Amino acid sequence: MSLLELKDVKKIYQQGKIKVPALRGVDLNVEEGEFTTIFGPSGSGKTTLLNMIGCLDTPTEGEIRLNDKKVSDLSRKALAMTRRHNIGFVFQSYNLIPVLTAYENVEFAIRLIDHTSVLQIKEKVLKILDEVGLKGLENRRPNELSGGEKQRVAIARALVKEPKLVLADEPTANLDSKNAADVVDIMRKMNKELKTTFIFSTHDPMVMKYARRLINLKDGMISADERRG
Amino acid sequence: MFSFKLGLKNLTRQKRRNFITIFVIAFAFLSYLMMDSIMSGMEEMSFDNIINYDTGNVQVAYPEYWEDRDELLLENLMDLNRDMEESIENTDGLLGVSPELRFKANLNNGIDEVSVRGVGISIEKYNQVFGTKNYVVEGSMFAPGESKAVIGVKLAELMNLKVSDYITLLVRTTKDTFNTIDIEIAGLLRAPNPMINNGIVFVPLEVAQEALNVGNGVSMLAIKTVSGDEGTVIKALADSFKDKELGLRAYSWKESAASVIALSTAKKGGIGAILSIVLLIGMIGIINNVILSALERTEEIGMMKALGMREWEIVFVFMVEATGIGIFGGLAGCLLGYAGVSWLVRNGFSLAYIGGDGAAYGIPILDKIYGAWNYPAFSFLFTLGVIIAVLSSIMPSYWAAHKDPVKAIYHR
Repeated sequence: MSLLELKDVKKIYQQGKIKVPALRGVDLNVEEGEFTTIFGPSGSGKTTLLNMIGCLDTPTEGEIRLNDKKVSDLSRKALAMTRRHNIGFVFQSYNLIPVLTAYENVEFAIRLIDHTSVLQIKEKVLKILDEVGLKGLENRRPNELSGGEKQRVAIARALVKEPKLVLADEPTANLDSKNAADVVDIMRKMNKELKTTFIFSTHDPMVMKYARRLINLKDGMISADERRG
Repeated sequence: MFSFKLGLKNLTRQKRRNFITIFVIAFAFLSYLMMDSIMSGMEEMSFDNIINYDTGNVQVAYPEYWEDRDELLLENLMDLNRDMEESIENTDGLLGVSPELRFKANLNNGIDEVSVRGVGISIEKYNQVFGTKNYVVEGSMFAPGESKAVIGVKLAELMNLKVSDYITLLVRTTKDTFNTIDIEIAGLLRAPNPMINNGIVFVPLEVAQEALNVGNGVSMLAIKTVSGDEGTVIKALADSFKDKELGLRAYSWKESAASVIALSTAKKGGIGAILSIVLLIGMIGIINNVILSALERTEEIGMMKALGMREWEIVFVFMVEATGIGIFGGLAGCLLGYAGVSWLVRNGFSLAYIGGDGAAYGIPILDKIYGAWNYPAFSFLFTLGVIIAVLSSIMPSYWAAHKDPVKAIYHR
């Protein structure tokens, strides 16, 4: 079943009097449970495409459907609600809140949508932290964690609300090869266990190696779309 | 609510900047509370000094005399008679009644002459109404039947006089002839009301009446009542005077203190201006804090928006933080204010720092102004401070929360 559908999506930025096209007409279908990588040179439009898919931005032209619901022309408030309930984000620079512990950073995300009891929330947060290998580090603040551990917290934060889609923009760019491999392993594991759909943007060949679908973006257009068994 | 918790936790970020903002707010609060305390203290002391050393709580005189009382004319004097005495004696709530004959005089020490206000008093009655006798610094008040004078130390210094010296008061009688009162100085006064020290000569009432040729005439009666009972006493006296058709009127001390009250009212306006400045300082501090925090946390705001936080939820996080700073600043300010006002109440503010006694500024206070407690000012300022903190954080918080999520996330 198609989770995400993009039809002739274009994005043009206005820089002064000059129009700069970032996406020149992207057509894309992503099924539920896919583990997809978008790659391409700098300026090819990877981040812009992820922003469109993640409902952080709206296209200049074209249509985006998420879960069979058109999201490309929603209001800011409706886009926020779509992100809150359906999408998890993992950023290159983790973007954790420094005054919160690992536990609280994850709790923060689930509290936005889950109003069940504190105990149930605690159970969920501890479980996901355990799954990303952070058992015992729950009470550490970001400055007490390594880069790999921070990114695991960010993954836990993205996954704790059990979104249909997780978007990760260069998630291993700030990590050494061992930590990068660990992070990708965790995401693969979650993809298999939870059937969560993952879409990455990356330059990292190691991340691409694990992807089951590789989309090559060039000059704002998809130049290759390869599925692996 | 997690946003609330996050707002509170954010207070621990940028500790130095938050501390400076809190300190600035606290210092502004301290300045206001001390200024308010000084003003309240000055008002209290001024009114006490007027009541206890100049007018009493109530004064009785003929309206015609009262209108021109500052002229110290010997017209429209009260001729004390049985009806008047009965009217006053039968009034409840009077603690003392002192007849006074006020007159213009020139004091001559044999070399120099200066214009003064003479006041003829019946010493025993005067002491029931006024506390002046407690401030005789040299010699004593004159005794009943004794023909001596008491003057202020300032006047004595000016005229190079001391106790036991003789002075001559040159006066004009009701017959428009000149007369003199040659009298020995019994004591020198240093009363809390500088007006008393600078230009008044107290002489026995009968000496003044004889010299001025006014018979039993007195200018007015100064009456002491329980503080706050003036209104009741004035009404009772008015009824009694009306019944006996005496034509007299009773006046509250406030009428004699009109200029001081006007000054006090003007100073309250000044306090309002100080309050505005204090609140403006607080507002600028809070706005500055929220803007800097938002700029530093741009990526974090982007992340919050990516997680699906609504704008008002992000606004709330910043507002909690700003309100926390307002509350801490207010509490610190009130604590500092408590310490400052305690010091002022105990030690006072020496008027020597501003060059002289209160007379130079039209306030009847001699050496020091002591602060007064004004507890409502603390709660009022704290509440207003917190409200201002909340209000002033709305706009910058909204500005922070309204950022484009893409621009915020990729801020760097």
